[in-house]
Amino acid sequence: MIIEIGHLAVIAALVLAILGIIAPLVGIRKEKGVWIEIGRQAVTVNFVLLSIGMAAMIYSYITQDYSVKYVWATSNSKLPFFYKVAGLWGGHEGSLLLWSWILSFYCMAAVWIHWKTQPVVIPYLIAMESLILSGFLLLILFLSNPFERIFPAPSDGRDLNPLLQDPAMVGHPPMLYLGYVGLSIPFCFAMAALFSGRLGEEWIKVTQRWTLLAWMALTTGILMGGYWAYYELGWGGYWGWDPVENAAFMPWLIATAFLHSVMVQETRKMFKVWNLFLIILAFSLSLIGTFLVRSGVLSSVHSFAADPGRGVFILGFLSSMLLLSFGTLIFRSAKLKSLVLMDSMVSRESVFLFNNLFFLVAMITVFIGTLYPLLTEALKLKKVSVGPPYYNAVFMPVALGLIFLMGVGPYISWRKVTRDNLRSHFVIPLLIAGSGLVLSYIGGIHDLYALSGLTVVIFALTSILLDFSKVSRFWARQRKINPFQGFYAAFRQNPRRYAGILTHIGVLVMVVGIIFSTIYQTEKVVVLKPGESVTLNAFRIELIRLYEAVGPNWVAQEGAFNLYENNILISEMRPQKRIYTVTQTPTTETALHQIYMGHVFLTIPEVAPDGSWARVRALYNPLVLWVWYGGGIMVLGGLLNIFRPRRKEVYSFHSSSSPSAAEPISPLPQLSSKRVSPEP
Amino acid sequence: MNENSGGLRVWHIVLLSVILGLLILFYKGLYGNPSFIPPVLVGTPAPRFEAPDLYKKERVTLDQFRGKVVVLNFWSSWCQECKLEHESLQSLNRQYGQNAQFVLLGVDYQDKEDLAKDYLQQYGNNFQHIIDTQGRISIDYGVYGVPETFVIDQSGIIRHKEIGPLVGETYIKFTREVIEPLLKEKS
Amino acid sequence: MRPLTVVFLASFFLVAWVGTGNTMLSEDDLQAQTKEVAKTLRCAVCQSESVWESNAELALQMREIIRERLQQGESPNQIRAYFVSRYGDFILLKPRPIGLNWLLWGGPFILLFIGAIILLVSIRSWTRDTLAVPLEKMSDLTEEDQKKIDLAIRTFKN
Repeated sequence: MIIEIGHLAVIAALVLAILGIIAPLVGIRKEKGVWIEIGRQAVTVNFVLLSIGMAAMIYSYITQDYSVKYVWATSNSKLPFFYKVAGLWGGHEGSLLLWSWILSFYCMAAVWIHWKTQPVVIPYLIAMESLILSGFLLLILFLSNPFERIFPAPSDGRDLNPLLQDPAMVGHPPMLYLGYVGLSIPFCFAMAALFSGRLGEEWIKVTQRWTLLAWMALTTGILMGGYWAYYELGWGGYWGWDPVENAAFMPWLIATAFLHSVMVQETRKMFKVWNLFLIILAFSLSLIGTFLVRSGVLSSVHSFAADPGRGVFILGFLSSMLLLSFGTLIFRSAKLKSLVLMDSMVSRESVFLFNNLFFLVAMITVFIGTLYPLLTEALKLKKVSVGPPYYNAVFMPVALGLIFLMGVGPYISWRKVTRDNLRSHFVIPLLIAGSGLVLSYIGGIHDLYALSGLTVVIFALTSILLDFSKVSRFWARQRKINPFQGFYAAFRQNPRRYAGILTHIGVLVMVVGIIFSTIYQTEKVVVLKPGESVTLNAFRIELIRLYEAVGPNWVAQEGAFNLYENNILISEMRPQKRIYTVTQTPTTETALHQIYMGHVFLTIPEVAPDGSWARVRALYNPLVLWVWYGGGIMVLGGLLNIFRPRRKEVYSFHSSSSPSAAEPISPLPQLSSKRVSPEP
Repeated sequence: MNENSGGLRVWHIVLLSVILGLLILFYKGLYGNPSFIPPVLVGTPAPRFEAPDLYKKERVTLDQFRGKVVVLNFWSSWCQECKLEHESLQSLNRQYGQNAQFVLLGVDYQDKEDLAKDYLQQYGNNFQHIIDTQGRISIDYGVYGVPETFVIDQSGIIRHKEIGPLVGETYIKFTREVIEPLLKEKS
Repeated sequence: MRPLTVVFLASFFLVAWVGTGNTMLSEDDLQAQTKEVAKTLRCAVCQSESVWESNAELALQMREIIRERLQQGESPNQIRAYFVSRYGDFILLKPRPIGLNWLLWGGPFILLFIGAIILLVSIRSWTRDTLAVPLEKMSDLTEEDQKKIDLAIRTFKN
């Protein structure tokens, strides 16, 4: 009964979503506010209706109603409670429902927040969001309905895919969807700007925090997915360049490019069309990602549904969205004439342009690699695989370029760089990076990737620190405070800038983690009998015994290992080889021991049935935790950016207080924001 | 990025053609089969092998079938699709087994000996099987999964590879278009 | 006697050198090389895992073959060629730079190059447009503001 209520609620939501497309458009045409008001109500009610749909599904999971086909397929009575709820996004149908629910939530929030301040664009926003929502609801109701029942009801469910029974996997899909779907808000604002012809900076200012929120969620989701892959798939790596991972990475790259390039439009009022293009591309990539994952066109570890009917629908929807959004952009921008003013070849503007070029090429690299197998198939050429060795080789130079720009962009002046600027900021970092290169080479690092990576990281880091020291001392001197307070003053002066720099530091930390954990990883795969041991650098891992272990819905062979460092016992490790009883699927459960911000990583992929020996995969991943620490710092930077304190104007050009530089390194932006720019 | 001139510009056309190309690619992809891998060994000499018979102590080699049409079927007891085709394989052997030119040989792939024997007991058996304990034969033949069936002609050249179960239409086509013409060829 | 010594010494070194190629491969080196090769091959029965990362039976057997062939003195490329001859190009995780595959290898760099050229040319033309407008004309700053700014810049520099 409950499930039917949920089903009805979702049907009603579809009707209202269609109303939400039509009503605001009618309202705009007839210039009648009441129609737009109807649109707003539809959006709010839609969120309530979809929440009912979600609640009905969750209720069926908790009450173990296996007459609901989807619940039956993704749950089981022995499943721990936590994973019962997570079963909702353990499959295709539920994922789409979650997607739509998040979309309706975002849409409602955006409409409520911007209703008063953005009366002109809100109707378009409602129409656009409702269009996306109705596409997804059509897909849910007609081609992948989670509310479908089976008769007679099975007595128990088929169980959730064991690989998904993991805390990181509970949070990973909702986080990714928060990111994917979150991009729809700036996208819809951009579309609204295109439709209404208000192509100024307003939509960017309005959506800045939304974009950041989506970016943060996407970053968190990707990081969680990486951590999940790291210890659940048990091969010791965290990023496999799998099509599904790529599908999340591509919108992330473009969203990041967008977050950078909007700054040019905000301060210099340039590249309007480019920014519109980027945000449309970012959201389109999340739709394309959905298509790739959900239609089964690519073979991947995660390929969920291979149903051409569904694929055709998603493709139809994708085509209309792509053609509508890019078509509008082309149509509108053909009439838009804007003037780009640049004073010199080398300036912060040009660095931003190169940043965008690198991000775009990075995205296209991943894109070509992901779709290349599809292309060879269509052209009936030899079938090829495009795997990690390819991506690592091609992506690396682009990534290095981006890290290098990280050390340049924030410290070069807008408009025109002066020799002073170059000399005062870049000579020292370049020298230190150069000596870093020599020292690392002498210190025994001979790998080309590691060397070049570390050199650019050192360059970017010293560039950041040099700036920190300069601004701290500057403000300390100005206000007669200590340098730490000086640094805080600088932060209060421009919180957004320093939040961004914090994210940059996160990236650098992560890159160091990636370099060390991939290039200096030691790995051994050996067969051990109890009493035997394997040596990894200074570590020795001894198998003590193998025995049976039992969990709520699995049985396992567990190994007890002692971990010695320089022959001193430091820990015990217990990896498992599990069999989930319902699905009879084997998984390897990793044992991790944290040491020096790295991990000793242990799995037993194969155990003799009589427990006389085990195949052991042992790894030492130095600094691997930096990957996630760095990721955490990146997200923290994003958070600080969203909840940044209000910018404290310590000095205004028109006041008569004592003069000081607004932004010591590059004082010009304060000028340019006041400058009269030719409007289109 | 060029915002200097009005009207339809180069990047408009580039963008539109990229989108259209992409959509066509996706559409074609929907009807393709991502797990289909074109065979590479067809037309080349069949890799030689020597492996133990599943039941008898003797070792079986490919060379001992020289001059015959050899149908090499890779299967496994844990493979669901193999169960589907097992009946057709037996009828294949009934149909051509009398012909001195024809041999059907099963290769048990990534399996345990006792499980394989149980399987054959349950589903019946009228032809010879070898076991590929080290996986050498299947790797030499480039087997991606089970079931896969290779047809080797009288002079030891691989002439055909069938991926997936030999059932229904596929089976009829297989006998009519592959086996019969080959049996008519003189070695 | 001299030439004979030279020949003797040369052959000694040659034997030693050839010998290291085959028999001196230590267990650690062997595992490292096996890993290097296995990481570039797709596990045939898995979805998108390499032979090294996969725990499937087949992957183990493939690793064993790689190891044996390395012990017999084959080079990583020869081993890869063997697997390609059996499984086709699909087995390679790093596509060979042949035919259309150049799109994969060259594409990103060509794009980067073309993009950079377009950017530089555009920036140059934008710069020229801008220089036509005198800087002072674009600013609404008063002379007094300008003085304050100059002072600020100077203060900072010291």
